[in-house]
Amino acid sequence: MADTKTAKYRQEIQQMMFVSGETAEPAPEVTFLIEQIVQQQVQEMLRECTALATRRGSRSISTDDLMMLIRHDKAKISRLRTFLQWKDVRRNVKDSDDKGGGDAAELAAGDDIQGVGASGPAADVGKKAKRTKVDLVWDVQSFFSEVVPPRDDIEDEEEEEMNYATIQRLRNADERTKDMTRDEYVHWSDCRQASFTFRKAKRFREWAGVGVILETKPNDDTIDILGFLTFEIVQTLTEEALKVKAAEDLYKKKTGAAGGGDEGSAGRKRKRETGLFDMPDEAREPVQLQHVKEAYRRLQKLPNKNKAMLAFTRTMPKSGLRLI
Amino acid sequence: MSDDGAVSNASGNNGGEGVDTLGEEDRRTVEFREHYKRSEALLMAAMGDGDAKITSADALFDDDPAHSFATVAAEAAPPTAPPKKPARTIDEDDYGDDDDDDEDNESNASPLKSKGAAAVGSVSAPDKHKYSNITRPNTDGAKPEPPKTTDEVRKKLEQDKKATEDAARRSFHTTFYTYETDRDAMLEQQKLDELDRQVEAETGPGQAQGQNQKNGAAPPNQPGTLSGTNLGGSVNLTLKHLIARIDQKRNMVNATDTQLRTLMSEVRKNRSKWANEDKVGQEELYESMEKVLMELKAMTEHAGPFLQKVNKRDAPDYHQIIKHPMDIGTMLKKLKGLQYKSKKEFVDDLMLIWSNCLKYNGEPTHFLRKKALHMKKETDKLVPLIPDIVVRDRAEMEAEERRTQNGDIGEPEDSEDEEPIMASRGRKAPSKSNKSSSAARKAPPAGSEGTPGADTKPPGPVLNNAASNLKNEFLRADSDAPLEGSINGFSTPPPGSVTPFGANGVPGSNAPGSQVDFSELDGAGTNMAGLGVVEDADDNDLEYKTWKLITKKDRARIASERHRRFKGDALDPEQPAILRSKAGMRRWLRRRKQAEDDKYLDPSAGPDGKDGAPAAAETLAEGIEEEDDRDLPDYYDPVCAIPDVNPRLRWVEDSDGQLVEQSEDFLRVIPKGAFKAPTGHLSQKVEDNMRQMQDTRKICAKIGVVKQMQLQAQMYQNQFQKYDPVPFVEQDVEPMVVTDDGPVMSKTTCRAALQRSVGKIFYHAGFEEFQPSALEAITDIASNFFSQLATTLQLYGEFPKVPEERPTGDEIVWNSRFTEEESILHALDKNGIDMEGLESYVKDDVERLGTKLLGMHERMKYHLAELLRPALDSNAGADGAGAFNDGSEQFVSGDFAEDFGEDYFGFRELGLDQEFGLAQLSVPLHLLQNRMHHAYQAQHANTTTSVGTLMDEPATFEPVTTQSITQEIGIIQGFFLSKLHDHGDQPLVEDDNLPAKQRFPKPRLPPTGKISSPRKRPIREQQQLARKKRKLEESKDDGNANAGSKPMPTSIKKLKLDPPANKDTAGDPEKDDASAVGMMSPESIAA
Repeated sequence: MADTKTAKYRQEIQQMMFVSGETAEPAPEVTFLIEQIVQQQVQEMLRECTALATRRGSRSISTDDLMMLIRHDKAKISRLRTFLQWKDVRRNVKDSDDKGGGDAAELAAGDDIQGVGASGPAADVGKKAKRTKVDLVWDVQSFFSEVVPPRDDIEDEEEEEMNYATIQRLRNADERTKDMTRDEYVHWSDCRQASFTFRKAKRFREWAGVGVILETKPNDDTIDILGFLTFEIVQTLTEEALKVKAAEDLYKKKTGAAGGGDEGSAGRKRKRETGLFDMPDEAREPVQLQHVKEAYRRLQKLPNKNKAMLAFTRTMPKSGLRLI
Repeated sequence: MSDDGAVSNASGNNGGEGVDTLGEEDRRTVEFREHYKRSEALLMAAMGDGDAKITSADALFDDDPAHSFATVAAEAAPPTAPPKKPARTIDEDDYGDDDDDDEDNESNASPLKSKGAAAVGSVSAPDKHKYSNITRPNTDGAKPEPPKTTDEVRKKLEQDKKATEDAARRSFHTTFYTYETDRDAMLEQQKLDELDRQVEAETGPGQAQGQNQKNGAAPPNQPGTLSGTNLGGSVNLTLKHLIARIDQKRNMVNATDTQLRTLMSEVRKNRSKWANEDKVGQEELYESMEKVLMELKAMTEHAGPFLQKVNKRDAPDYHQIIKHPMDIGTMLKKLKGLQYKSKKEFVDDLMLIWSNCLKYNGEPTHFLRKKALHMKKETDKLVPLIPDIVVRDRAEMEAEERRTQNGDIGEPEDSEDEEPIMASRGRKAPSKSNKSSSAARKAPPAGSEGTPGADTKPPGPVLNNAASNLKNEFLRADSDAPLEGSINGFSTPPPGSVTPFGANGVPGSNAPGSQVDFSELDGAGTNMAGLGVVEDADDNDLEYKTWKLITKKDRARIASERHRRFKGDALDPEQPAILRSKAGMRRWLRRRKQAEDDKYLDPSAGPDGKDGAPAAAETLAEGIEEEDDRDLPDYYDPVCAIPDVNPRLRWVEDSDGQLVEQSEDFLRVIPKGAFKAPTGHLSQKVEDNMRQMQDTRKICAKIGVVKQMQLQAQMYQNQFQKYDPVPFVEQDVEPMVVTDDGPVMSKTTCRAALQRSVGKIFYHAGFEEFQPSALEAITDIASNFFSQLATTLQLYGEFPKVPEERPTGDEIVWNSRFTEEESILHALDKNGIDMEGLESYVKDDVERLGTKLLGMHERMKYHLAELLRPALDSNAGADGAGAFNDGSEQFVSGDFAEDFGEDYFGFRELGLDQEFGLAQLSVPLHLLQNRMHHAYQAQHANTTTSVGTLMDEPATFEPVTTQSITQEIGIIQGFFLSKLHDHGDQPLVEDDNLPAKQRFPKPRLPPTGKISSPRKRPIREQQQLARKKRKLEESKDDGNANAGSKPMPTSIKKLKLDPPANKDTAGDPEKDDASAVGMMSPESIAA
């Protein structure tokens, strides 16, 4: 448990894991491992961003650099854009509300979670303040020399189109919250607000070593995007780890509790399976360390695409850390 | 005689034909035989002593041929001979085979005549001749048969053998024989060679000596008949008539016998080494014997053990069991030592070998027995080929002849007369088409007539005998007594000579006799088939055997050649290499041609093939190298094979001698569009996107211009480059011709095509421009990637096949491991492409990009519209497009004042309306109009040239001319005159009417009103000044034209416009030049 001393985001990670589908309480080692992974990922991202910025000729990184890093994950890009849009909206609302006072905090809390829970207030706000579109640097407008203001009457229906993965994610969340009691839902929505960066930007900077890696202080947008990305990392890891665990459970069920080793437990398990009022499996056991490790390994696996050009050569495919 | 001839030709309806048609039918011969029998019976009865008077000379004379030795014969031309005789003889000679028929005919047709002739006693030559003619059939009919059949059999056998060999030879190229027997062949051949050498070494000197002795024994001045000299055998057929003739006219020939003899022997050809003048029949007999022996020897497979004497070491007890050892080697020695006197001795020796072997190796399963039996069989086959000749000394023979002539002159069987002719006929007989079967049938009558002696006469001696008939007086005293004795009784009972036909044959017919019988029964009736059957009886394949037999020598030679190249187990580098030879190549070509002909053209095109083969061969410089003929298939001589020329590359000419273009068959035009992107939905969309991008960029460029114009006060003409996009057109390759099907393997072209595609993708991805290096790099990567993709696909396609799983299937069906689809998917996956990626590319990067681009285009258009007409902007407010917001009636009615209300000037406020009692407070319209008119005038004041003609223009001055100069005032007339003179007497032009440039500049008055600067000189003066100056300068410096160059253009223009300059130019070359240059207008050039 010596490691856990240095763990700074145990709470947040737990909450994120809960939102991502882990119902039980994960062990501190697990959260610490995840934290370490996230930390490594963030540092790698910052490093890459710096490299990109340097290539651009700039000393400070921009949001575009971060987007560039995840450009291949279209679903993530799409979510990020939505997030940024809503962040913009929130800022506008805050600005307008600062003048007129009101429920800025409430709105902010609702905006941060860009999912089901936030849809209600966000819709209202959307009417008030037109949310600005976040354009990608490599998108169509970059094709042309002149930047023209967007037109309101031309709808970009593509923005409405959600990625399959995102929709699936939302659907899962909807399923889980459907039957929740009020308290449970409050807990759920609390968990959804968990962030590495929200209102603890300084801690995040220290934790991620931003000052060490970057020459200049990153702006708030960058930190916010990093916060979003760290959430995504935890979520992806948890989902993968749950998949690993499900596969393991299925295997154990088939082979008769080979993991446990004792016959008795296997027999009990079988008995339990038939039970009508048994708890669902995942409720009982949180993901273990090995599950997370396996999930991480899977996520680090080099896809064929990165090896294709090395086929028929003797060069071993090498790659650095893969961003999750 | 002539009548006879005519009769014989005419009366014999069959005979006449017989003369013409060489072929004779059995039926006819049978008929003849019967006739002949009858006539002979009559003859026998009628014949008297007169027969004896008939000399053989007459008979011979009758038979005299007029052939190539006619020169000799001409000397001895018979004066008594009727003129018709030669013709007759020629006839006989030409149709020698048909003589029998003629004679038969004669005898048949005119028995009475012949009887009459016989009664007359044959005093006259014709009669004699005729008689002889008639009598000839006596023996002719029966006698020739035995030798004929033997010869026939032999010939037939030889022919068959040859045919088989030829057939086998032809078939060599169709079968591949392995080399494995070559080594054996080589060893056997070596053995044979050794044997030959041995025999040679042992017998060589002795034989020579023996021959010498024999030659020595033969007296040089043999006065015997010429015919006796060269009685080697059948070789001399052509000469025998000549000899007979010479013999007949011996007294008229002024040459000694020896002279004639040498002449004959010189003239004669094909004398073999066996030929010996003193040994009658030796040549023929020995030749055939040697042939048989060689043939037997060559059957190395079986003959091996019999080649040499049985070694004592091998078989210690051999000599106890075998009393008379014999082997082929010994026989060869004996042959060379001329120890064989007759066929029988030879055959006996041969049989002795086999019987020795069979005797010694009594065990039935002994391997040597098999060989001996085989050899015996072969021997049986070969022996009939040997003529049944007994070698006799000439002297002895002559003695016998003399005796027979002396003693048997009264013999009723006028054998002396007949024999020579008969014999000669007999020799010729083999060429007759008479079948041996018919001969066999004929034999008995001959025998029954009691002429066994004649019957059994062997050909050779008979000939000798007959030929020497005349020369009885030369009979030698030293002739062999016993032989003579043996001969004495009968005409020719040579010792050991056996009649081929067993009817009257020697009762104790031993091996040779039986051989003959065998051959008669077997070989005569059957020909090739019989032979084939016999050979087929062997355990081996006939063809293979023949192959082995025929090619053995060559194979052995080649094998030994090959063998020589090896030292130990390695190639010997010192040995000369096996090189290709021209002869070998020729042979190769010939074989090939032959094989082709055999295959395709068969017999009908035989001559063609023969014509073709040498033609083809001649190209290879026939005769430069020695042609050694080998009967080996081509694969024995691979070095000399000539590779085939590709038919496409051959030089073929058509009938007109024009070269046939072979290329047309295989040249292909590259199909259109091979190097263009195929049109499909996706590429269509991509191109649409690109076009859209171009359109948008055009708008973009306009926006940029507008924006720049807003910022910049002053614009330059070239500041903005017009964006003028050109539609993308993919260019195909020029019409090209390739020589093969399949993809075009042109690296640069393919790469260029790929580069173009990459460039398109670049553009589609939003890059308006890109560096060539980037394009190159991406092209390289793309080509690398695609080649890897293809390689992967190939690997999956070539995956080892897996057996199809089938429970009952007995034969395994092999399926490829992956289906095509699987292979493609695997290959794509291995290269990092998944279907979702492809799909999302099409969906997002192509299709949705299209909509995005469309949206962007709209945005751009809208933005440009805003920029160009800001008032039209909806945000422009009431002054802009907003002015139209509220109905916009005032634009229609023009009543803008309504908005302001009636009291525009505030009159009402001031109370003026009451004061003045105005009905309405609006501005009177006419006032407004007036103001507008003025405003209009003020606005357009500058542009109008003239307001109006206020006063009349003064009359223009009359131009000063030479005519009108008198009207001027006197003081100025001189000035005008000089002016006019300068101007070439043309009317002077007013300064104001001059072209603008030639006008004198008007002095400008500064604000001070003081003319400060002096008036500028007119241009002309300037020019002249400049010219002067330049002249000065030119004298100093040629090159400096600065001073003059500036005025020059103006002067040129002026001169051009001023035609009168011509006058002055005469004295001014410079001016002339300038004007000339000035005249170089396009029009002048055109004119």
